Amino acid sequence: MATIWYALLGLFFATYLVLGGYDYGVGLLLTRPGDPRDRRAALNAVGPFFLGNEVWLVAAVGILFGAFPLLEGELLAGFYPAVLGAVTGVVLVTAGVQLRSRPRAESARAAWDRVVVAGSALAALGWGALLGGLLQGVPLRADGHVAGVSHLFTPFVAATALAMVALVAVQGATFLTLRLPAADVPPVARLARGLVLAALAALAAATVLGLLSDRVRAAVARPALAVLLPLALVAALLAARAALGRGRAGVAFAATSAALALPVLLIGAALWPRVLFSTGDPAASLTVADAAASGPTLSLLGWLALPLLPALLGFQAMCWWVFRGRTDGRAPVYW
Amino acid sequence: MDPLLIARLQFATTTSIHFLFVLVTLGLVTLLVGLQTAWVITGKQTYQRLTRFWGTLYVINYVLGIATGIVMEFQFGLNWSGLSRYVGNVFGAPLAMETLVAFFLESTFLGMWIFGWHRLRRGVHLALLYGVAITAYASVFWIMVANSWLQHPVGYELRDGVAHLTDFSALLSNPTFTVAIWHVIFAALTTGGTLMAAVSAWHLLRRTTDHQLFRTSLRIGLPTAVVSATFALWFGFAQEDGVALAQPTKLGDEQAKAAAVADFTARFGPGDYLPPALAGTAMEIMIMIGFTIWCAVLLLPLLYRDWLIRLRFPLYLLLFAVPLPFIAAICGWLTREVGRQPWAAYGLLQARDAVSPVDGGVMLASFLGFSLLLGTLAVANWVLFARHAARGAADPAIGRAPGADADRSDTRPESLFA
Repeated sequence: MATIWYALLGLFFATYLVLGGYDYGVGLLLTRPGDPRDRRAALNAVGPFFLGNEVWLVAAVGILFGAFPLLEGELLAGFYPAVLGAVTGVVLVTAGVQLRSRPRAESARAAWDRVVVAGSALAALGWGALLGGLLQGVPLRADGHVAGVSHLFTPFVAATALAMVALVAVQGATFLTLRLPAADVPPVARLARGLVLAALAALAAATVLGLLSDRVRAAVARPALAVLLPLALVAALLAARAALGRGRAGVAFAATSAALALPVLLIGAALWPRVLFSTGDPAASLTVADAAASGPTLSLLGWLALPLLPALLGFQAMCWWVFRGRTDGRAPVYW
Repeated sequence: MDPLLIARLQFATTTSIHFLFVLVTLGLVTLLVGLQTAWVITGKQTYQRLTRFWGTLYVINYVLGIATGIVMEFQFGLNWSGLSRYVGNVFGAPLAMETLVAFFLESTFLGMWIFGWHRLRRGVHLALLYGVAITAYASVFWIMVANSWLQHPVGYELRDGVAHLTDFSALLSNPTFTVAIWHVIFAALTTGGTLMAAVSAWHLLRRTTDHQLFRTSLRIGLPTAVVSATFALWFGFAQEDGVALAQPTKLGDEQAKAAAVADFTARFGPGDYLPPALAGTAMEIMIMIGFTIWCAVLLLPLLYRDWLIRLRFPLYLLLFAVPLPFIAAICGWLTREVGRQPWAAYGLLQARDAVSPVDGGVMLASFLGFSLLLGTLAVANWVLFARHAARGAADPAIGRAPGADADRSDTRPESLFA
C-alpha cells in the first residue's frame, strides 16, 4: 500500500512539474521585449489550464502529508530554503498571472508581469534545488531530524536548480508553439530550439558536478538509474529540438514534458527503497516504508481517495479537451 | 529568537489572512450559484449581468485564497514537523482529502468556468459553477474535520508516543466539529451577504447607473446576511457546552479548569495550561459584533417600497458594516486557536513539541518574508476588488464576449500595482 501511495506521490509531483513547468516557462518568457499584447496572448494561451495546473502541487503535498507524514515534516523542514523559495515563487506566479490584467494601465500590468517572471524563476530554482538535494542526501541526526540547512548549499544543487530553470523555459516555449496562432509560432519555435541548447549545457554541468560529488555517489542506491537520468533527458531534449525544427509541436511538447517528469520518477527510483539518505550514518536513512503512515490511515485514504481518482483525471481531461487547439480571436481572454 | 513564538505568529498571520479571503469565497460562490441559476432559468439579463459582476469580484478574491492556502499547507511541514511526526497519521488524512477531492476539483472547475463563457453550453457552464461551490463546501468539511481533531483528538490510540488512527467515524462525529462547521458556513454567508449589500449600497448612494441592478443585489445581500447571522449566532452559542466538556481550560467552569490543569500537570509535568486572556476577549468582541450585525434585521421591513434606499441613511449603515464580519471572523479563530494553547493537539501534543527543530533565524526570515509578501498581496487584491466593485456592472471582465476587449490598456496614468 505504501508503494502505491509513493508512486501516486511521484505521479502527482511529476505531473505538477510538467503542467506547472509550462506556467513558469511562459512566465519566464514574459521577459522577452516586444508588444504587451504578445505577453497577454502568451498568458491566455495558458489560460483555462492555469488554475488546474498548480492543484497538482497542492494535491502532491496533500498525499505527502496524509500518506507520508514523517517524510513531510523532515523533507520540508530539512530543505527549508529550497521550499521557501519555491513556495514564494508559486505564490507570486498565482497572484501575478490572475491579477495582472485587472488594472487597466499598461504600466501596472508590466509591473505584475515582472512579479510573474520573478515568481517563475524562484519556483523553478526551488524545485530544482529540492530534487538535487534529495539526490545528495541530508545529515540526519540521531532523533531523526535533519540537522541545519547548510547541507543544501553545494555546487551540485546550484546546478540542478539552474537546470530546472532551463527545462521549464524550454517547456514554456514549446507549449506556446502548440497553443499560439500558427502565424506567431516560428519565432517562438526558434527560441525554444535555442533554449534546448542552454538546457543541455545546464544539464551537462549538473551531471559532471553530480558525478564528482561523494555525497551523490553515496546516496544513490541504483547507479544505473541515476546515470540513465541525464542520458534520457538529453535524448528527450534532442528529440524536442528535432521535432520543433520540423514543426511537430505535439511531439516536441511530449518530449519536453518527459524531460520534466523523468527527473522525479528516476530520482525516486534511484534512491529506492530510501527516500531521505543520511549522509552521516547510511543505516539511519529514512525509507519509504518507515516514512509511510500506519496501515489504517493508508487504507482509509485508499478507500476514500482512490475511487475518486478517475473523476479527478476525468475533469482535468475535460478541461484539456474543451480548450484544445490553438488560441484565436474567438478564444476568451481573462488573464 | 524563540522558534516557537515565531512559528505561532506565522501560523496566526497566515491563517488570519487566508480566512479573510476564504470567507468571501464561500459566501460569494453560494450567492453566485443562485444568480447564475436564476439567469439560466429565467433568461433575464439582470441576472446575467449580476453573475458577471459578482463573478469578477469573486474570482479576484479567489486569487489570494489560493495564494495564502498554499503557504498554509506548506507551513505544516516547514514549521510544525512535530505535528506530522506525532499526529500526522490521523491529522494528515483529512488534509489530504481536502487537497485531493476538494481543492483539486474546485480550481479545475473554476478555470473552465472563467474561460467557458461563450464557449460551453449554458447548462454545462452552470454545472461547473455548482461543481466549484460543492467542492468549496467539501473543503470546509475536511478542513474543519482536521482542525476539530486538533481541538479534541478522538478515534486514535498512542503507540510509542505516535498517534495511530483507530476509528475514522469518531473524527466525523467529533463534538467540536459537528456544530462548528455550521457556525463557520453561516459566518461565511453573513460575510458574503454583507459585502453584497454594502457594494450595492455604495452604488445606490452614489446614484451610479444600474439602479435597478444594484437594487436587486441589495435585496439579495441584506436578507442573506441577516438570516445567516441569525444561524451563525445560534450555532455559535450551541457550541458552548460541547467545548466546555472537550476543552475545560477554554470554556469550563473554575472547578473543571482546576481539574484539567491537575490532570495535565500529572501527565505532562508542571506548566502553564491556561490559555491567554486574549482568547476570552476575542470571544466577547465576536459575540458583540454578531449581535450588531443581527440588528440589521431592523432594516428588513424597510425593503418594503424601497424605503431602505429612499431614506439613504440605512445604506450608510450597510456600507460601514463591511469590516464587522471580518473582525468577528478573526476573533472567532482567535477564540478557537488561542483558546487551546499551549496545545497543538489538545491534551496530546504541546505546541513546543510540535515545532520544527529549525534555527530561529531561518524561521524569522520566513515569517517576515511571507507576512510581508502575503500582506502586500492582500492589500493589492483588496484595492483591485474595490476598484472593480466601484467600476460597476457596465462591462465586467468575466463573461466578456471574445474580441470585445474593452479592458484593453488605456494611457491614463495609474499607480503601480493598482
